[in-house]
Amino acid sequence: MSDEGIRSLPTDGELTVDPVLADALSRQLAASYATVPAATAAELAACTRAVLQAATRDRAVRGAFRRRWWWGGAAAAVLVLAVARPWHPRHVQQEAHAAMQEAMGAPATAPSVAPVGVVSEGPGGVVHFALRLPAGARAVSLVGDFNGWDAAATPMARTGASAEWSAQLPLTPGRHVYAFVIDGTRWLVDPMAPQVPDADLGPANAVIVEGAF
Amino acid sequence: MTDAELVRRTRSGDQEAFGRLVVRYYDACRRFAYHMLGERADAEDVVQESLLRAYLALGRYDERDQFRGWLFRILTNQCRNALTSRGRRSRRFVSDDIALDAAPAPAPLATGVEDRLVLRALAQLDPLQREAVLLKYAEGLDYTEMARMTGAGESALKMRVKRGSERLRQLLGPAWQAPGEDGHE
Repeated sequence: MSDEGIRSLPTDGELTVDPVLADALSRQLAASYATVPAATAAELAACTRAVLQAATRDRAVRGAFRRRWWWGGAAAAVLVLAVARPWHPRHVQQEAHAAMQEAMGAPATAPSVAPVGVVSEGPGGVVHFALRLPAGARAVSLVGDFNGWDAAATPMARTGASAEWSAQLPLTPGRHVYAFVIDGTRWLVDPMAPQVPDADLGPANAVIVEGAF
Repeated sequence: MTDAELVRRTRSGDQEAFGRLVVRYYDACRRFAYHMLGERADAEDVVQESLLRAYLALGRYDERDQFRGWLFRILTNQCRNALTSRGRRSRRFVSDDIALDAAPAPAPLATGVEDRLVLRALAQLDPLQREAVLLKYAEGLDYTEMARMTGAGESALKMRVKRGSERLRQLLGPAWQAPGEDGHE
């Protein structure tokens, strides 16, 4: 059966095992197989139980991982919390807010709404603060070095049904730094007023200098 | 009850039906795995892992396939994985020949007079040759079934069987001369 041509692949004959050897192998392996004892009923029950328990655990884990939208949501929530850090003091929150605005492509001092602020001085050193917000807000307050940056100290009043908020308070002559707080949580720097960095309150803020010295 | 019926019942949540499949195929799987791996604990781990994978994949099992063949496809893969990870382990940890000589031999199966010569010879084969020889001569499969099970071509399998068989004849030497005369038949 040997061919005398160029040999690149083995022929079928070359791949055939000697029948005597094949027979001997079959018998020897069958004998070796036969020496392996059969599993006891207890071993079989233990194996079945272990498989079923492992399958239950596996499905629970796979089920949890299958809800990928949940993991995506959780990751987004962790990111927001890590940036906003609501458990931090307010001034840290403000920095975080500015950082978040920057991260979103907006300037740190330009909030997502475009407010228009007006500050005018009246008789007796009373200063009138007004803020027009394009988007509706439930509550706005004025904070500054004059009220200890307390968002509850100087609430602003809504003027009629419009989105204009105002507050008046007497200020001593000099330089004052201030900002607005929207809905008790969101700090807003007046973009139309002069701004200064402030060591305590964040990277930017508005300032007003009283003229009645 | 046929395998297909037991599979259908298992799919519908009948754990007892799965238990019956385990009873039906555990020994066959363990014998193959033991001859592939040469160690009892490894063989039992591999069989359990294979049954777990089979259970989890029952939804994808096509009833036109023989359940035994499908299960053995999983089992052969798991044996290969076990041999691969064992190779990694031994490369990482075993380099002391004196310690190896002093170490106790791997635990054999608890009872039975196993044919140590055959196991030792099988252990010296290339794993793919060992797998092919066992599937051919111990499991009695034809090359088409073996190809479906292992993913290898029939020619490659024939070559593995041929070379593995020749190597076994060399390794077993005199003990090989008259396998039918020692009472195994």
